[in-house]
Amino acid sequence: MIKTARVASVFALLVVLFLAGTAFAQTDPGVQSGNRGTGATIISPANDPNGFIAFFQDGLVRFQELENVSNAANVGLGPRFNSNQCSSCHSQPAIGGSGPAVNPQFAFAGSPVAPDNTTPYFITANGPTREARFPFFFNANGTANTSAANGGVEDLFTVTGRSDAGSCSLTQPSFAAAEAANNIIFRIPTPVFGAGLIENLDDSTLLKNQATNLNNRFGIAGAFNRNGNDGTITRFGWKAQNKSLHIFAGEAYNVEMGISNELFTQDRPLPGEDQQSTGLPANCLNLGGKGYPEDTSNPTSTPNAAVLDDVSAFANFMRFLAPPPTGGVVLNGSSVSAASIATGSSLFSAIGCATCHNPTPGTTQVSNFVPALSNAPVNAFSDIEVHHMGTGLADNVSQGAAGGDQFRTAPLWGLGQRIFLLHDGRTTNLITAIQDHASHGSEATTVEENFFDLNSTQQQEVLDFLRSL
Amino acid sequence: MRTRFSCSLLILTLFASLVSWGQAAKPQSIPQNGGDFSDNLQPVTKVPTGVILVKGAWSSASDSVTPLPEGGSVTNNVFINRYFGMSYTLPSDWTEKYKGPPPSESGRYVLAQLRPADTFKGSDRGSILITAQDMFFTPLPGTNALELINYTKDNLQADYTVEMPPTQTKIADRSFTFFAYWSPVARLHWYVLATQTRCHVVQIVLTSRDTKLLERLIFDVNKMKLPAEDSLTASTGGAVPVCIKDYATDKNVIERVDPIFTEHRFNSVPVRIIINKEGEVKHIHFLSAFPDQAKAITDALLQWKFRRYLSNGQPAEVETGIMFGRALLPTTATAASATTQ
Repeated sequence: MIKTARVASVFALLVVLFLAGTAFAQTDPGVQSGNRGTGATIISPANDPNGFIAFFQDGLVRFQELENVSNAANVGLGPRFNSNQCSSCHSQPAIGGSGPAVNPQFAFAGSPVAPDNTTPYFITANGPTREARFPFFFNANGTANTSAANGGVEDLFTVTGRSDAGSCSLTQPSFAAAEAANNIIFRIPTPVFGAGLIENLDDSTLLKNQATNLNNRFGIAGAFNRNGNDGTITRFGWKAQNKSLHIFAGEAYNVEMGISNELFTQDRPLPGEDQQSTGLPANCLNLGGKGYPEDTSNPTSTPNAAVLDDVSAFANFMRFLAPPPTGGVVLNGSSVSAASIATGSSLFSAIGCATCHNPTPGTTQVSNFVPALSNAPVNAFSDIEVHHMGTGLADNVSQGAAGGDQFRTAPLWGLGQRIFLLHDGRTTNLITAIQDHASHGSEATTVEENFFDLNSTQQQEVLDFLRSL
Repeated sequence: MRTRFSCSLLILTLFASLVSWGQAAKPQSIPQNGGDFSDNLQPVTKVPTGVILVKGAWSSASDSVTPLPEGGSVTNNVFINRYFGMSYTLPSDWTEKYKGPPPSESGRYVLAQLRPADTFKGSDRGSILITAQDMFFTPLPGTNALELINYTKDNLQADYTVEMPPTQTKIADRSFTFFAYWSPVARLHWYVLATQTRCHVVQIVLTSRDTKLLERLIFDVNKMKLPAEDSLTASTGGAVPVCIKDYATDKNVIERVDPIFTEHRFNSVPVRIIINKEGEVKHIHFLSAFPDQAKAITDALLQWKFRRYLSNGQPAEVETGIMFGRALLPTTATAASATTQ
């Protein structure tokens, strides 16, 4: 009897210790499922003197249109592509977001979208939507030629076998060989909520912010990527390589869907096909049958918004898309208190995260589009600078002035409802994402150490705060 | 003649139509190896993991012998930096897990970032960050350690509270400015030690929740070896050039050749040079430059000729900085002062 009581008390102690351990172990609250109203327009119908809201709606429709190769309403797809619809990759938690939980790319191969294709090994049913790049060109013997930087997008699929693609037959890039040579990296879609506000930040605002941030004790510096033509600050894309939403949309239309347009006027061969001057086969050109570019303005259309080319419509959609609202956080079935989230916000700043993930890098300049884009705070949690992120995140791809280890500070607004994290979607766990900020050559190593110097409760408060964004 | 011409035309037409038919019906042949394609699933060599092979603007130097500010390393638990003549034995159970980023275009160096090793027994962890700010290029409003730390104090964010205002002290037989602040919400303390040495302000930033640990770390820092102040001779035994900001002016440059750039770029290119006793550029250090910029600037600077600099009547080497490319926006001086307590 005594022995039984002793065993029971030891067991009780173990349970208490286990529960205590559980209570203090920090956990990523995960993707917040509550509707926060993300995906609405920033334009107030009552304050839209020029009627731009119609352009937002038109862009929203086109953003969701399925593209075809030929003989249909929306033609020009391919001959190589990553997807056939903007919103297939930009849909979490609303149209304009990042990759969804169920990866549409996984269903393409063998379906009418990409009949004679195989699914690349890194595309999975519930993994991130991805594009792939080979940092280096291959040598003839299959090794990567590290003296020949590539870095361009290697589209995952071809139109081969599609009923609307005629006799065009293309080979998919050698993804398995690239993996064997450790010569492949990935990117996931960046959400575009609030993009119009980022576009409307004046360079001088960003430069002043940079000058202020140099006074930090975390070892952080940073630089801006700049447009090679006029030298102004570029700001969109994982390496801040794109100047404007027009260019961002035009490049994506061309690279991700293979649709030539008024900004990128030719069908795009793979980087190697371009380098070796082989180009695309003649029977894979002008598949839409209308000539180039495949997307143009529509001068005879009505109403006004319909006159625009698709790229302009996409740019307007992104420009007028409101920033993602913040929201409550549920952790293990219970709501996190607002006070706890506020503490997390203070901790986030105190330990140095906000040096790069600046909650408000500035206020927009006066907009010629809509009043909502004028003099508005940009609560993006980004300084729009590119930073050295070290060997752990480096992808050996250079874009503009950004080198292989430099990335734009990812805006954190909307993070609470983002599934896949970091530029390649390698993790869904915030804690892993924070850990991956530290590596050889990273500017964020000291801040990462500061995070793990916090006690478990404080770390949890930071995580809760991040999922409130 | 005509028949022959017709025959050739016919052959040509047939050939052209065959080619055309081939294009219409023949699938793309299997691409030969190279470019985007390879069928070799067992390559002899792989792209190394954890190595940055494609760099943007980066640091480089005209020779591999002259010590560089970023050239320090931890060996056998001792951090040694030959440029600064610095030697620091790490506290027991501390390690350099990760090396710092390359120098920035604003002249900021991360010399070392140290953290507790896996064997560390303390309840609260911490970090040691050793940085240097090149005073030739700093956009911050300050000309010495005290002014920079005062600027820091005067511009602390609302997250922090001052524990001890900037105070002059002696560490390792050298003048340091000590400054302490903390974050009440994070319960993290920052102890900052700053000293001016060889054209730079070196800062040692100690961070932890445990003030006892911080005190022990300060005690360890006190054992650090640094060159004597105001000395022209480094502990390594070589002569240290005289530091002069903005020396490359028309007053001192006798012959100047402009670099010929091959690409239009928009970055800042801070360049630190050492001028020998004859007035020639003997060493060039790019804190941040693209390779084509470094080559163009090197080709030009090696043709520059300076007036000989005399120190106490004797020719002396000079170390100075030149900013090529875009100038940095200076940080606004809001309340920096040179006072201390």
